[in-house]
Amino acid sequence: MLDPTVSPVSPAPPGRRTLRLGVAGPVGTGKSSLIATLCRELSGEFAMAVVTNDIYTDEDARFLRSAGVLAAERIRAVETGACPHTAIRDDITANLDAVEDLEEEFAPLDLVLVESGGDNLTATFSPALIDAQIFCLDVAGGGDVARKGGPGIGRADLLVVNKSDLAPYVGVDVGRMVADAEKARDGRPVLALSRSDAASVAELCAWVRGVLAEHVDGRHVPQDPGPMAPHSHGPAGHDHGHEHGPHTHVH
Amino acid sequence: MADEDDPGAAARGSGTGALGALLLADARLPTGGHAHSATLEGAVAAGLAAEQVPAYIRARLRTVARTEAAAAVLALRAGRGRPVDYGPVQAALAARTPSAPLRAASASLGRGLTRLARALCPGHPAVAGLATATAATPGLRPLRPVVLGALGAALGLTEAQTARAVLYDDAQTVTAAALKLHPGDPLATVRWVVDAADDIEAAVRAAVAVAAPADLPARSAPLIDQWAAEHAQSTRRLFIA
Repeated sequence: MLDPTVSPVSPAPPGRRTLRLGVAGPVGTGKSSLIATLCRELSGEFAMAVVTNDIYTDEDARFLRSAGVLAAERIRAVETGACPHTAIRDDITANLDAVEDLEEEFAPLDLVLVESGGDNLTATFSPALIDAQIFCLDVAGGGDVARKGGPGIGRADLLVVNKSDLAPYVGVDVGRMVADAEKARDGRPVLALSRSDAASVAELCAWVRGVLAEHVDGRHVPQDPGPMAPHSHGPAGHDHGHEHGPHTHVH
Repeated sequence: MADEDDPGAAARGSGTGALGALLLADARLPTGGHAHSATLEGAVAAGLAAEQVPAYIRARLRTVARTEAAAAVLALRAGRGRPVDYGPVQAALAARTPSAPLRAASASLGRGLTRLARALCPGHPAVAGLATATAATPGLRPLRPVVLGALGAALGLTEAQTARAVLYDDAQTVTAAALKLHPGDPLATVRWVVDAADDIEAAVRAAVAVAAPADLPARSAPLIDQWAAEHAQSTRRLFIA
């Protein structure tokens, strides 16, 4: 039951134990599967909960509950009014309410995963909702997607290139796709993931453990990938004035 | 600022009333409204056709929205009082909202507005006093009209502005949801709201005339309650309520 004396405003990260980790990315790239994998691998180690966003309320929540990877009551679906991008960025109310409720009901939680409704390449989480975010692509979406860039691809805390096991069937060179992504990300991590590749799953879990440890220590500072990625026009590395731009700018 | 709509603003030393009225009526206010349909989704699921949406707006303006507008005015007055006590209006409104899903929806919208109010003016007595609403209805957070009234008091809105913000938001919630549920021309939905002007102003006058929580009109709409109950049980929802 709620406590009327407690402010509904989320405490700043230094005062909050729980790491709020967002998972964004286009439809069908394997966000729910990635979350199921994290629950399966980490729920014995950390106290966890999940918030899902869908076009129709609870498809993803039902998928996760049926996967049996986490107690059903720790998986909550929120309605987004058919605006999944709004619900993670411009008006995060419904998601924030769900996250705060889970943190209160299952206190103390170590990790809350927030799955965005599958959206386009420009949808990223507001840092007012989450502390860190994974952006999820998949090889089946085409090898050139990582090169196209976007805020999630360019600046999410981790970029996952999912379903790497499918690469031979869709004619994608995973190494090339990862290299393209690394170039677009200025050194931020990229992970080729397949749930059937234990080594890649272990890398994903290690990354989450690392962010969680930094969050608990107060060393992690939430970064906003921004609504749109800065990108430069003209020849790469050509340094000149604004008229011809070395400028990275926002459209 | 001279304000013909709000001659009392200068006397109260507040210039935010007119702006506040626009803010509270703006669908871009990040308080969760975009995930609500004012039960239109449940109504459409039960067979409400696109051409019936204007009638649905009018029906709400004459029933549940009128009760909510009057509650917001009572809350505005409570927010200006000292000590601030929203208990009577919160209890009166909860008693006149017989549908549990609709109480929950109103509390959910109230929660978003409370988060905004505490971010915007945490020290204002009208905002700090919101805890008195929950004290009157344990387990139920401050309902949307109560928090709107509190924000109205903090921002210096008039009673008419506060009531109109509630009614306009109700109508626009329906029109915005209609575009998702019955795709049509967005410009046509603007006409629906303009055509509701007389109903909105009649409800504003009725709301301002309510003297005390005991006089709060109990204008429920049984069919809306029924649709809200069915919607709450549905598994494929775009909107919370």
